[in-house]
Amino acid sequence: MTATLPATTRVVTAPARPSRLAVRAAQLVAGAVVLAALVHLRIGWSDLAALPGALGHYLVLMFAHPNWAKLPYALQQTWVSVQMAWVGALLGVVVSTILGIPAAQGVSPLWVRLPLRGLFAVLRAVPEVIIAIVILTVTGLTPFTGALALTIGGIGTHGKWTYETIEAVPTGTAEAVRAAGGTLLEVARWGLWPAAAPELMSLALYRFEINVRTSAILGLIGVGGVGDLLTGYTQYRQWDAVGVLVIVVVVVTMLIDAASGAIRRRIMGGARTRVVDRTV
Amino acid sequence: MTERLATAPGAAQAASGPWPLRLDDVTVRYPNGTVALRNVSLSVAPGEMVSVVGLSGSGKSTLIRTLNGLVPVTSGHVEVGPYAVDELRGRRLRQLRGSVGMIFQGFNLADRTSVYNNVLVGRFSHTPTWRTLLGLVGHDDRDVVMAALDSVGMLEKVWGRAGALSGGQKQRVAIARALSQEPRVMLADEPVASLDPPTAHAVMSDLRRINSERGLTVLVNLHLMDLARQYTTRMIGLRGGELVYDGPAAPADDAVFEEIYGRPIQARDTLERPS
Amino acid sequence: MTTLPVPRRPRSWPRVAAVVAVIAAITAVTVTPALGGIRVDLGAIARNWHYGAHHIAQMTHLDFSILPRTAKPLLETLEMAVVGAAVAAALALPLSLWAARPTNPGPSRRAVRAVLNVVRSVPDLVYATLLVAMVGVGVLPGVLTLVLFDLGVVVKLVSEAIDSADSSYMEAGHAAGGTQTQINRLTAAPQAWPAYASQVLYSLELNVRISAVLGLVGAGGIGRLIDEVRGFYRYGALAVIILEILVVVIAIEVASNVLRKRLR
Repeated sequence: MTATLPATTRVVTAPARPSRLAVRAAQLVAGAVVLAALVHLRIGWSDLAALPGALGHYLVLMFAHPNWAKLPYALQQTWVSVQMAWVGALLGVVVSTILGIPAAQGVSPLWVRLPLRGLFAVLRAVPEVIIAIVILTVTGLTPFTGALALTIGGIGTHGKWTYETIEAVPTGTAEAVRAAGGTLLEVARWGLWPAAAPELMSLALYRFEINVRTSAILGLIGVGGVGDLLTGYTQYRQWDAVGVLVIVVVVVTMLIDAASGAIRRRIMGGARTRVVDRTV
Repeated sequence: MTERLATAPGAAQAASGPWPLRLDDVTVRYPNGTVALRNVSLSVAPGEMVSVVGLSGSGKSTLIRTLNGLVPVTSGHVEVGPYAVDELRGRRLRQLRGSVGMIFQGFNLADRTSVYNNVLVGRFSHTPTWRTLLGLVGHDDRDVVMAALDSVGMLEKVWGRAGALSGGQKQRVAIARALSQEPRVMLADEPVASLDPPTAHAVMSDLRRINSERGLTVLVNLHLMDLARQYTTRMIGLRGGELVYDGPAAPADDAVFEEIYGRPIQARDTLERPS
Repeated sequence: MTTLPVPRRPRSWPRVAAVVAVIAAITAVTVTPALGGIRVDLGAIARNWHYGAHHIAQMTHLDFSILPRTAKPLLETLEMAVVGAAVAAALALPLSLWAARPTNPGPSRRAVRAVLNVVRSVPDLVYATLLVAMVGVGVLPGVLTLVLFDLGVVVKLVSEAIDSADSSYMEAGHAAGGTQTQINRLTAAPQAWPAYASQVLYSLELNVRISAVLGLVGAGGIGRLIDEVRGFYRYGALAVIILEILVVVIAIEVASNVLRKRLR
């Protein structure tokens, strides 16, 4: 067969492209909203232009000659922040589990579920900093306040994760236990717990990871820890100390993330942590 | 060392028409030590329709992928048309690939985007990267895509989501994708293994029609005896990475296939269950 | 009656006991001041409870007079959230493709991931504090903070989604002679779209929460008003502001959930 390839293009009448009016309209609206917001914010465009230069200048100030003399103190304060995060996570997980199980569909009637879920939504919506501001009148400017704020704020998110995880458990095992005549406690222990436990423990560790970050922020209002130190150094413009602090925060956070991630992977028994759909 | 034939693509276009294929003592060893192909030599004339038959693990997938460089050869020489495939890198390799159309057992479509975009993939080697990046599709590209879809009977689905199609329809879109490359060679790696018998026949007929109407050189990997006998003129048998048969397809009887498979014929070796 | 050769039962309780012991040990260290731990001062709660009760009582007397003053800062908060999410969204798509293995099999991927891990490790208000000190008070450091935070979250999650999704369509793109950029643009990007859009919407939710407090360090939004009100012990007004933030955050969360469900 030595026939030459025939001309492939004889013009064909193709069906018309379906109208994408709805999509285009949505894109236009979104674009308009963003543009309106941008204009109304009145960001100084000269500031924006000077930004790279300013950033470069300060990055050099921070990292060219870090003040390593401050390292021990920085580490000590970071340890305080981590403690806040740990206690906050522990208490938060305990309370969230106690409150979250009844909030799951199939465990309690609606008049129990709804208020609980509402409580979680409210606690989730209030930033932890504000919670800390409110409770520091009772517990003072101490790391314990920070831990409490993390606990209360964490109940909102972790409570939601708890009841979502329980609801996602396939019902087969629970049905089997019930059919074999198990009590509610036995159904929970043998029907729900084995399936939900790995993910719940993984989420608890994730909660701790997030808390480590938030605890640094709480320090900014004075409860202690790394944030406290940061406010001080930046106010007095001690950039070389700020540099050390940032390095410490980044390194400690990354180490905790790595360790926590590895443990979570082992718990979930797979190569990838399945927390892809969940975010801060 | 004999002289290599790597001539400029311009020369290839001047001599329009389907390309020959050639493997010269090709061995492929994977990094984990498996030898997938062992001293395989074969030669396919332009416009031939050839099937490569063998069990899974016989080296069919590796062999077909040496022809467009998706699998590098450990030793030996691969020639497709004017290109010495084993020596190509970067832009030249992409040029060669642009002239070799390929369809796969798993269809390899992007399910979330339109049939149109999937077929447009075939125009990659004809389009500069910046145009693809900006989403600028020329009129001639669009015409080629529509014509390719029309020739496989899928034109009415052009704007639909690729994921919404059935298996047979997806494979047809894949064929259109390959055709829109305006290729000189068509490679098919187990194109019907995931399809039911009527659809499998339809797709094989399409391939045969492409071979007869457009005169393209076609190489098809199959593991079913009756399809090889019915749709191809020449057959190559692989067993354990070695070439064990190279001859006409139609007269190949069960004994030949037992030799290729290395075991007695079973029911699953034919598409239609023997009645 | 012959006895059956029952296999030995694997013992799981040693491992559980070890885990519990570790958790208990860490907790003990963290709450014992003598070991450098924080002071769990339940006594303070007992002692100061009446302060708290007083303030909470004040908070229940909602002081709506603050409402007109909250309009502009609240709008500013929302605008910052929107602009931050938009800028981050624009940057996140190419960065996500750059950070995932199927779409970037080359060596630059590791560098991108490393930089992103560092960016993710800095808490949002730390960025805000630093940026305010660098460029001055205003909304610019706030928007920049949001962009940095969003990129950290979105790019990680979207690139992980791309990594774990089926990418067999890539082989077809390579076989057709396409460059990695062409393949990414025409096939990989649409495949990543649901994960991307979902995470962008989520980043908008997060932004509203964060931008509400950015003002506490001077980075714009309603935070400055919160600080002022707190300073004057106007707990009734503080309660009103918190309620406003609640309403907005929950409204955005509901809207975002609806949109994200439709994307699936």
